[in-house]
Amino acid sequence: MPFQAETVEASMSLAKAGAGIGAGIVAIGAGLGISRIGAAANESIARQPEATGDIRGSSIILAAFIEGVSLFAVVVTLLIAIG
Amino acid sequence: MRIALAILVIAAACFANLKFSPHHTGSSVFETLYMHLMPAPLVTDNHVPHEEQELLLPVALPGFLSFMDIGWHGGADAAGHTPEGHAPQTALFNLQIFQVAAVLLVLLCFSGVPKYLRTGKGDQLTRLFAGFAMWVRDDMVYPVMGSKDGTRFLPFFLSVFFFILFMNLMGLVPGSATPTASIFVTLALATITLISMVAGGMISQGPIKFWLNLVPHVPLPLWPLLFVVEVLGLFVKPFALTIRLFANMSGGHMVVLSFMGLIFFFPTLWGTTGGWAASPLGAGFAIFIMIIEVFVAMVQAFIFTQLSVIFIHQSIHPEH
Repeated sequence: MPFQAETVEASMSLAKAGAGIGAGIVAIGAGLGISRIGAAANESIARQPEATGDIRGSSIILAAFIEGVSLFAVVVTLLIAIG
Repeated sequence: MRIALAILVIAAACFANLKFSPHHTGSSVFETLYMHLMPAPLVTDNHVPHEEQELLLPVALPGFLSFMDIGWHGGADAAGHTPEGHAPQTALFNLQIFQVAAVLLVLLCFSGVPKYLRTGKGDQLTRLFAGFAMWVRDDMVYPVMGSKDGTRFLPFFLSVFFFILFMNLMGLVPGSATPTASIFVTLALATITLISMVAGGMISQGPIKFWLNLVPHVPLPLWPLLFVVEVLGLFVKPFALTIRLFANMSGGHMVVLSFMGLIFFFPTLWGTTGGWAASPLGAGFAIFIMIIEVFVAMVQAFIFTQLSVIFIHQSIHPEH
């Protein structure tokens, strides 16, 4: 028996709401991870200011890793939200 | 003088993009704006309606490549067929203008560098890019790979770094399109890294020993499972490279386009006065995100190249 139009539309809206919630959770995860890197980096620079260059370079790389993972999830939510 | 030529290349690419890309119309303002992120085939005249537009440089595809057909619903194609019966064809896309422009910029900026490195004579642009290239060599490639292997792979890393850097930065100019914001371009770049990993590993360790060395020393019953896991890991690493570059570039553009779309959205909510009041906020946020995007463009080129260095080094010299 074919689904009624309202049911189909309601389930599509639920999927899009799920995509929105997912994108929010992704932002929480990325924020947690990058904040830990920031805290550790600042502490290490305070302990040993002459290593600032190395610490800065490595924290940028690590932040990009975490952002890569979060962008996986963003791509998935975009795929849900758009088609 | 060469700086003026570089600016001319960028301006010509943006002008060609604006003149030959088809206009986008979507059902809402946001959809019209987001469609600017999709690659669009170039048409000869973008002022006629969509049904009559003709592709600028269509290329008829032979039978075995017909899966690459672009599904053009516009006007007549290369063979003169009507819209109902298109032969498989592909066409020049607006992204390819900017890829060619990035290659021209690399040639332009680096043309005096070998002479400068030999004799010490060069203008400021040459010195800037010579310093940049030496930074890539001394701080990205040599610390990981050492000078022997690093010298063998250095042309690839230099090319990919500056190619991605110029493509990302050109995408921020108004009227342009970012080739790296399309997953196919980043997939192609990561596939080259994958082929370098596999071929470099197979050449330096022997064709069968490379695949056997992927797995650390484990008891025999565990070996098939771990082999599958390690092969998957080998393929997932370049896949992560493509998604990271693609999502960073297109996500940044999408955020800027969303803020610009809000300027058109507020008049529908609050009337004309409300729209005028809200537009400095929208434009201000968009400018802020653009500033972050310049930084992200450079960081993503750096990350792609650095991870390519690390992966190829791991393939040539596995830790276990």
